[in-house]
Amino acid sequence: MMLLAKAAIGIGSTLVLASAYTFHEGIIRIDVDEYHSGGSHVHLWVPAAVVPMAMHLAPREHMMCAADHAREILPIAHAIMKELKRFPDADLVEVMNGDQHVQIRTSHGKLQIDVKDPGETVHLLCPLSTLEDVTSQLESNAPGA
Amino acid sequence: MSNRNRGFLKKAARISAAALLFVPLAVFAQSSTAPSKSSTSPASSSSDRWLHVRVISSDAKGETVRVNVPLELAEKVLPTINKDRIHDGKLKIDNAHANDVDLRALVDAIRTTKDGEFVTVQSNDCDVRVAKESNHLIVHVLDKNRSKKSQVEIKVPMKVVDALFSAGKDELDLVAALHALSGQGDTELVSVKDDDNTVRVWLDSKNVTE
Repeated sequence: MMLLAKAAIGIGSTLVLASAYTFHEGIIRIDVDEYHSGGSHVHLWVPAAVVPMAMHLAPREHMMCAADHAREILPIAHAIMKELKRFPDADLVEVMNGDQHVQIRTSHGKLQIDVKDPGETVHLLCPLSTLEDVTSQLESNAPGA
Repeated sequence: MSNRNRGFLKKAARISAAALLFVPLAVFAQSSTAPSKSSTSPASSSSDRWLHVRVISSDAKGETVRVNVPLELAEKVLPTINKDRIHDGKLKIDNAHANDVDLRALVDAIRTTKDGEFVTVQSNDCDVRVAKESNHLIVHVLDKNRSKKSQVEIKVPMKVVDALFSAGKDELDLVAALHALSGQGDTELVSVKDDDNTVRVWLDSKNVTE
């Protein structure tokens, strides 16, 4: 019985530790709702720590291909993500046009993009540190890097 | 040990192994971001200068665009842009001697001269005024031609103008200009009002728009 209790404690604490490591980076949240018949509704919550981990495990040729496609904007994106973390929360861009509303802002260390349109709504929330890491990894995988 | 307990322990061992395998992977994933954590505190510094752009269209939909950018961010990001005429934070201008006017020489002349009005045009079509006041270059244009008058006001600190032309010939140093701008107090740089749009560009320490 004691052995079982010890095992349970070990499992429990390991799971708590694993969860803490997985979620301390935050969550990437993607919500897409299309308001028409047959429209898709996507609601995705992913632990942010999974993304860089998955990139480490992704085949190098795929990473090189992705980096090649994004090579023009990678240094800019990396610089923006790196620097944005240093500033307080802010509404960076806001466009309102009748019923349409686009907002790009930083909130609690996350980049938040909201698009509201009568036909669809898109919300994207991603930790800046994850975006920085992703751009950094892509840069290091760029051909000739 | 009973078969039931043995089965449970096997399951527990499998879960533990999976979890333990997961932890190093998670640590590995975090390791590349961890060093930057120390610098991630988004502490607002009163010295942060923000450039604000606001465009309000007067059409039926009332389109509004608001952009708020930290100057320091723009300073760091601009050098990473290498596209068309922009390289290393500098903008290449094809012909600095536009219309036989040597822009650099003109800026040098303005810098060394005392405050005063350089250009004043008053006509039925438009009023134009270019002046230097309190170390600011002022450009004022009032277009009377249109059904509704349009008005452009530009007020740029001379230090910023100097910095802008501090690069080599036929180049504008955008990064140097931004750096010089960050040393300025709260100021309105550009204001455009016409029958279609109202545009305002200003600088202050607030990270929110008005």
